[in-house]
Amino acid sequence: MNQAIVLEALIKTVIVIGGLATGAAYLVLLERKMAAWVQDRIGPNRAGIPLTDIRLGGLGQPLADGLKVLFKEDFTPAHVDRWLFTLAPVLILVAAFAAFAVIPFGSVLPVRSAATGTGAPVSLVIAPGVNVAVLYVFAVSSIAVYGVILGGWASNNKYSLLGGLRSSAQLIAYELPMGLGLLGIVVAAGSLNLEEIIVRQAAGGWYVLLQPLGFIVFVVAAFAEAARLPFDLPECEQELVGGYHTEYSGMRLLLFLLTEFLHMITAAALIVILFLGGWHLPGGLTGSTDEVGWFGALARVVVLVGKVFLVIVVFMLVRWSWPRFRYDQLMSLAWKVMLPLGMVNFLTVAVLEQVRWAWRLEGPYWTALLAAAAWGVCAIAVVLLAVAAPGVADNRGCRFTESEEQTG
Amino acid sequence: MNGASGWLCAVLLLGMVALCLLLPATTRRRRWAGALLGLLSLLLMLVEVLLPLVSWTAQAVFWVLAAVTIGAAVAAISMTKPVYTAVWFGLSLLGTASLLLFDGAQFLSIATVAVYAGAILVTFLFVIMLAQPEGRAVYDRITWRWYSKAAAALVAAILMGILTLALDRFARTEVPWAPALEQLDVLHPAHMARFGGELFSKHLLSIEVAGALLLVALVGAISIMIQSGRSPGAPPERMEP
Repeated sequence: MNQAIVLEALIKTVIVIGGLATGAAYLVLLERKMAAWVQDRIGPNRAGIPLTDIRLGGLGQPLADGLKVLFKEDFTPAHVDRWLFTLAPVLILVAAFAAFAVIPFGSVLPVRSAATGTGAPVSLVIAPGVNVAVLYVFAVSSIAVYGVILGGWASNNKYSLLGGLRSSAQLIAYELPMGLGLLGIVVAAGSLNLEEIIVRQAAGGWYVLLQPLGFIVFVVAAFAEAARLPFDLPECEQELVGGYHTEYSGMRLLLFLLTEFLHMITAAALIVILFLGGWHLPGGLTGSTDEVGWFGALARVVVLVGKVFLVIVVFMLVRWSWPRFRYDQLMSLAWKVMLPLGMVNFLTVAVLEQVRWAWRLEGPYWTALLAAAAWGVCAIAVVLLAVAAPGVADNRGCRFTESEEQTG
Repeated sequence: MNGASGWLCAVLLLGMVALCLLLPATTRRRRWAGALLGLLSLLLMLVEVLLPLVSWTAQAVFWVLAAVTIGAAVAAISMTKPVYTAVWFGLSLLGTASLLLFDGAQFLSIATVAVYAGAILVTFLFVIMLAQPEGRAVYDRITWRWYSKAAAALVAAILMGILTLALDRFARTEVPWAPALEQLDVLHPAHMARFGGELFSKHLLSIEVAGALLLVALVGAISIMIQSGRSPGAPPERMEP
């Protein structure tokens, strides 16, 4: 029984890590292709099956890229702190992989698990039934900050240090709105378990419809935590060369780049699981009970992975559509816009849930009414925000504003 | 004094000497000796105090985690570079969190990582990085010779001895473990929800007081920051017309 638990977890771990590494490699290709499409180019289309002339539209590119990076010299500059310089990429990669221990990649398989002994079906998550799954993801993602800071500091380079500082400040600042966006979910679902949250959405409606404000706050914060383009100040090429991984090359650079894509997958998976219903698809393709056949189980995996893929495509579209924030804009967005919105969301959800609970407002009509109330609050909050405009920063020097006031 | 406490005393004495040798000093040779002595004392401890755990794997996992935690903690106090100290301290916190998880206290474990490793230590690291400390800190340049090290190691040894003896007595009194755990709800499937319920019903006042305290600290920090911005050396905030 003990061995069965370990074996089951090991098999799932191998599947998840293999899938993630391969997925990240092909996401690099997808990103390059999408960049090409957005910019009206063709993109990488030469590399196909090795040693033949078959091109497959560039599908061999990740393999070629990987080999290229592996065979490059892994150079350690003379002025760096050797131990921390090596520790940083490893640490950040381990933290990125560790988050997937509690993120489900499906529902259950219709096989009685030998591990638990109770005859429960096999859950498609490495650590099933973790009571604090959401908090665990948060804790592990806060470990990732170490990789960035240490990498930037150990490089002993101005640009790296600045990149590391920016990144850590950004990650710490956006953890707050992310947590606030999530609190509404926890209140509504009554659980911190990601599988349980999906089940609740399958039964009572997706949270993107019930908590629109929370969705907005969470998605913006997720972009910032993944350091995707509107928020990619840690490594903005024009200002900082490459940010905290300027000094890295070869395999260790690959670890950093892989981690960036892993963070994006984590963020997309969290958005899907928390707000977009996980494996649930209305229309009867996937029901809400745990009694599923093989077709249902596989369909759920396909639906969940497909949703994550679609969210990642949105991430990439955003990357090639928007310019980067200025640093003060980034911070004022976090503290002056997202934080109040998150608090409004939390209060709204708490009040609505209390109303629902106190008067026992069950059924689709009441749910629709409560959702409409949440949308109303969302609209009012956004309008008020537009009027107050706390994010508009006048960062001209003090003298200029003074003289302008005096002259007219 | 029976055999067990004599053994404990010997182990603690060994650990004390190891700690004294490990603390930052001018030569490196003594620190290697200290590391070896420390390992030896840990092994002797292992021989004496085998915990009554269910299985061999559980025993192994516990000891690996415990050794990592203690080793990282010792490394944290014996490093000369502040950045390394912070990193080792972080590892020690991760070990502590793993031990808590091992005991089934999921929330405490995650909170340790998120709050201490994820927030507080990152802030430390931030400050250390910005300060770019070179070489030894000021408190290392002031010398109290070996007295301070010896006193620190002695206090640590006494504390550990007392704790071990107390826990030993606690373990010897017959505690019905299974009902106790059930009562504590540590192993309950929904222990987070129960934990929250407990916190916000029985301990509501403490929570509110702690929250108010943190808010006051926050406001205080901001007010200090604003005041220091108006220091006499700095230019005035608004130009008088």
